[in-house]
Amino acid sequence: MSRKRSLLPDLYKSKRKYVPSASCSTENNVSTSQGGPTGLSDLLTDTRTALMLLRSMFPEGKFENRLPPIILKHQVYSYVKNRTLADKQMNDMRASGEIKMFKLGAEAGERSLVFTNKVNSCIVGQCTDISLDKDRLVKDFGFTDLEITQLVHASVLTVRDVGSWWLSIPNAGIFLKTFIRGRKAVLTMIRKSKYREVLKNDLQKRRWPRLARLGILYHIHDVIGADLVDCISTTSGELLRLRE
Amino acid sequence: MIRLLGERESGIIYPLIFQRAEVTRRNYCLELSKHKDVEGVHKGSINSVDLDVIENRYLLSGAADSSIVIHDTQPANGEAQQTYKHVCQVSHNSGSTKHSVETIQWYPIDTGMFTSSGADYQLKIWDTNRLKVADKYSFHGIVYSHHMSGISVKHCLIAVGCSRSTVKLVDMKAGSATHQLRGHDSSVFVVQWSSRDEFLLATCGADNRVLLWDIRSAKGSLVTLDQHNGESASHSKCAKTAHDGAVNGLRFTSDGLHLVTFGTDNQLRLWNAFTGKNMLVNYGYVYNTSRKAAQIALSCSGSPDVVFAPSDSNIEVVDLYGGNRITTLRGHYNSVNCCIHDCQTQYLYSGGSDRNILVWAPSSETEDYEEHLRDQSKESRGEKSFTQRTAATADTWSSDEEDNR
Repeated sequence: MSRKRSLLPDLYKSKRKYVPSASCSTENNVSTSQGGPTGLSDLLTDTRTALMLLRSMFPEGKFENRLPPIILKHQVYSYVKNRTLADKQMNDMRASGEIKMFKLGAEAGERSLVFTNKVNSCIVGQCTDISLDKDRLVKDFGFTDLEITQLVHASVLTVRDVGSWWLSIPNAGIFLKTFIRGRKAVLTMIRKSKYREVLKNDLQKRRWPRLARLGILYHIHDVIGADLVDCISTTSGELLRLRE
Repeated sequence: MIRLLGERESGIIYPLIFQRAEVTRRNYCLELSKHKDVEGVHKGSINSVDLDVIENRYLLSGAADSSIVIHDTQPANGEAQQTYKHVCQVSHNSGSTKHSVETIQWYPIDTGMFTSSGADYQLKIWDTNRLKVADKYSFHGIVYSHHMSGISVKHCLIAVGCSRSTVKLVDMKAGSATHQLRGHDSSVFVVQWSSRDEFLLATCGADNRVLLWDIRSAKGSLVTLDQHNGESASHSKCAKTAHDGAVNGLRFTSDGLHLVTFGTDNQLRLWNAFTGKNMLVNYGYVYNTSRKAAQIALSCSGSPDVVFAPSDSNIEVVDLYGGNRITTLRGHYNSVNCCIHDCQTQYLYSGGSDRNILVWAPSSETEDYEEHLRDQSKESRGEKSFTQRTAATADTWSSDEEDNR
């Protein structure tokens, strides 16, 4: 019955909202500090905060500071449930130059984000789009053909087509290799557990292979956001179930 | 609901608001109906269903074994438990060999005729009363979809999309194809006329593109819908695409202002029908296994309207403008091919490869039905107990003794 109630449109719902009392909220904070940001996920509606949190999860030290903190776009969806709103806010941030978007990910449609202040590159700093063509590079930025070749060698640009390039991050290959290995590891862990489901808290406590350097929390948000698992809230925390 | 009724009574809110709220509530709580079902007649997977526009009463369905069946969804007997019987059926409509029926549609003006098209490379116009083919048109390829405009007064054209890339417009008055619309590179899966502008046509196909046409213009397509709104697809040689996979579902909203497309990249997209801009609503991952046309349905006159998208063996219900997932309707045993929403009763009818047509009704009606069943059983129990009581108190042999005495 309670499930049915939750499907009512907004017009029927009473305007009163649940406001947790002071004691309750402190309890919440305690549990948050203990078990990671599980309790926090209900409160997050702001995409920027979600991005900051995800950035803090990225282990820069493990990559010897060769990579800026890379966030995958769909990881935000595990925090912000309204995807349309999240997309809109990310587009606004991109237009204002706060973040950069790159075509980087396991699949063709996937996008990743980097905060602009972490990227020290002149064209990446000025371009808000994810792809550039030759006209733009030659006329707006004043590059010669040789310089473009050098940029491709430095992997600031990657080839998309004749006369067209994707923006890229140097050393993105290292990241992607680690990332794909880690995602596989997480999915195998869930697949091997009973009924192909596992509590999120239990999963965080498991031993994590050392080669997948990105950390388990980073990958949990990745598989939730990419809709590879279903996220079911239970009385003992969130349950991740592998989607068929 | 009681609060809104009270407010409506005292004139605080308009009746329309109450109506919208109730329609939306019914749309949100659909579930497999426990007291209504459709008689299974088809012997192949059901590819297309349509409900007639006038009464929303007759359900037309076409299947892969080339049979066409009409069910009556409003039977005269007023019983609570109903099975929709079939009124008439056509089996083997194309002679001895069985060709799949891909699309079927009622004539928008009345139920006197309907159109069907399919793997027999033909578009057929049927006389409903005699169940005979009145006219047929042949094409060079499997006809995946055809559509007749529901609002047109100036033309009676049927748009036909087939496995060849040209879209043809058939004029029923002239008895032949009058237009050819060239623009797609590959087979065309769905064609649909706008529900607002009678000359606007939308087509989508296996070349990942969705094209809007004004059939009065001779220049070709009006707009090619672009999923990135002209951003990263800035490269001139790269054609604008609406999806990253074949587009096999397309539907205008009932007011004709927006367009919903469904692609094999497992995405639904919402478009502004006038500017051709992507509205950037993110519906998340909606699994699309179908390799031919998938018929999606939209609700109408709800306050947030919903999209019903066939997703493997389930139907996903998502908010049209917000993109939030509302529920998943589970019930079919095999992949769902088509669904249609009844705007008056808020019922959803869906057909799938498991040869079933399922009826999805608001859960409040199921509760009413269960209450009705309880009442009925109580009544019958009451009767029984009364007869038991009379049987216990009645003495059947006393008179015999009295006679002896």
